[in-house]
Amino acid sequence: MSHDTIIVAIDHGLATLTLNAPDKLNAVSRKMIAELKECWETLAADPAVRAVLLTGAGRGFCAGADLSDPDRDRSVAADSGSALDKFFNPVIRLMRSVPKPVVAAVNGPAAGVGMSFALAADIAIAGKSANFLQAFARIGLLPDGGSTWFLPRLVGEQRARALAMLAPRISAEQAKEWGLIWDVVEDGALLTTATEVARRLADGPTLALARIKEAMNRASGNQLSQQLDLERDFQRELGRSEDFREGVSAFLAKRKPVFKGK
Amino acid sequence: MRRDGMARVATRGAVVPVWRIMEKTPVIAALEGGVLTLMLNRPQRLNAMSNALIEAMNHELARARDDADIRCVLLTGLGRGFCAGADLSGGGTVDASANASPDLGAGMDRLFNPMIRAMRDLPKPIVGAINGVAAGGGANLALACDIVLAARSSRFDQAFVRISLIPDLGGTWFLPHTVGDARARGLAMLGKSVPAAEAERMGMIWQVVDDDALMAEATKLARQLAGGPTLSYAAIKKAINAAATNTLDQQLDLERDSQRELGRSADFKEGVAAFLAKRPAAFSGH
Repeated sequence: MSHDTIIVAIDHGLATLTLNAPDKLNAVSRKMIAELKECWETLAADPAVRAVLLTGAGRGFCAGADLSDPDRDRSVAADSGSALDKFFNPVIRLMRSVPKPVVAAVNGPAAGVGMSFALAADIAIAGKSANFLQAFARIGLLPDGGSTWFLPRLVGEQRARALAMLAPRISAEQAKEWGLIWDVVEDGALLTTATEVARRLADGPTLALARIKEAMNRASGNQLSQQLDLERDFQRELGRSEDFREGVSAFLAKRKPVFKGK
Repeated sequence: MRRDGMARVATRGAVVPVWRIMEKTPVIAALEGGVLTLMLNRPQRLNAMSNALIEAMNHELARARDDADIRCVLLTGLGRGFCAGADLSGGGTVDASANASPDLGAGMDRLFNPMIRAMRDLPKPIVGAINGVAAGGGANLALACDIVLAARSSRFDQAFVRISLIPDLGGTWFLPHTVGDARARGLAMLGKSVPAAEAERMGMIWQVVDDDALMAEATKLARQLAGGPTLSYAAIKKAINAAATNTLDQQLDLERDSQRELGRSADFKEGVAAFLAKRPAAFSGH
């Protein structure tokens, strides 16, 4: 994969995607989102990739849609829905549906759809100096990239409404305290920590991780009774996997398991 | 739209203290700078909700919906309390003593539930300034606001279980959707009174404010929202209302449709132009 705006590195099952427009705090141009979508499609289809780490180059994680992008349609009839349909929404859907864990290393400001990218990750870890901003209402829009769905589920109805309407900037510490993200670490330790977490997941029981992801996705719409059935079905399936056999025998032998993702 | 016994103290500009009207008006309404302030006005009963009070609320909420000059609603209570819930004594919505098996559902259908629905469906933000105790239905009236600021001395009390009822006015929905399932069950079953600071920590409300700063802070916030991109706020409310039962997949489509519509609004053009010129945006609400 060769891209101008994204650096892709694959190392023993762990794919790292680095948004690479550091001079613009990785604001998302038409070109970047098209390339990002291509990357996600490729990684989703590649069975050798067992976990994905998403981060940004330079000082920022992602500043949201690039409003100064020369490719942006400025006409009166401009359709801001079509870019969502063609690019942004498919990326969010892929991040949530890809049967492998996604880790975000939020290395700086995550604004607008950049914040949605962070929230769409299964596990988001932020550097202390990172911050989060639902900037949309500041320009007369509503949060997109799934944020109107992520926010109430992560921080509850009250905070979701206030974050969307008042568009305050939220520190990484506050984000952790509220449960918007998983963890905060020192800036200098961010990439190491996030890579360790992503590495552990890439070496983990991929089928189980995929089913955890799927079960959590479904939980928000399911009744408990439906969810119990779903857990039964997934557990039945996982109970027949190689990784389950390996996990149990390693547990009994008191040694570390070696999972293959099968 | 005006009806007898509901004369309002001010329709435009400064509030005129007409005491005789104020005594009879269960909700004082004043419109200024795009903000419709609704003040519950039964201070001697900690603003417990009588039929007349809820009727007045419903009337004002309909006005807020229809009047384009209203771009934000600020809800608060007069006196020491915000709202002590349904008035269980004379003149209230419930007459438990007179009838061995009153139909509580009828009042909910006719008065309370339409009020909560109107608040959530109002295409404009509602700020709650919780000035004192919010108990029973009063607590859930507070939680129905989009953004709740509460005075440090106020508290939220799901008192229902103490009289063998369940939280109503949306309480059984608001609680799990703000503080999570475990806390929701605890609060509803134990009927525990939650001080404002703890309510903020739990995410039940947006912010706790010192008592003497509450009205200034809440008014500032309401003014800010009244000067904001109203269509955007309406879309946010609708989207978050829908999010609770939508799948992510459905929600992404909803965001696309809303964004498409907002992308053609005057306020979006103004917002982008202001952003690029690094100046504050002047939103018109269109």
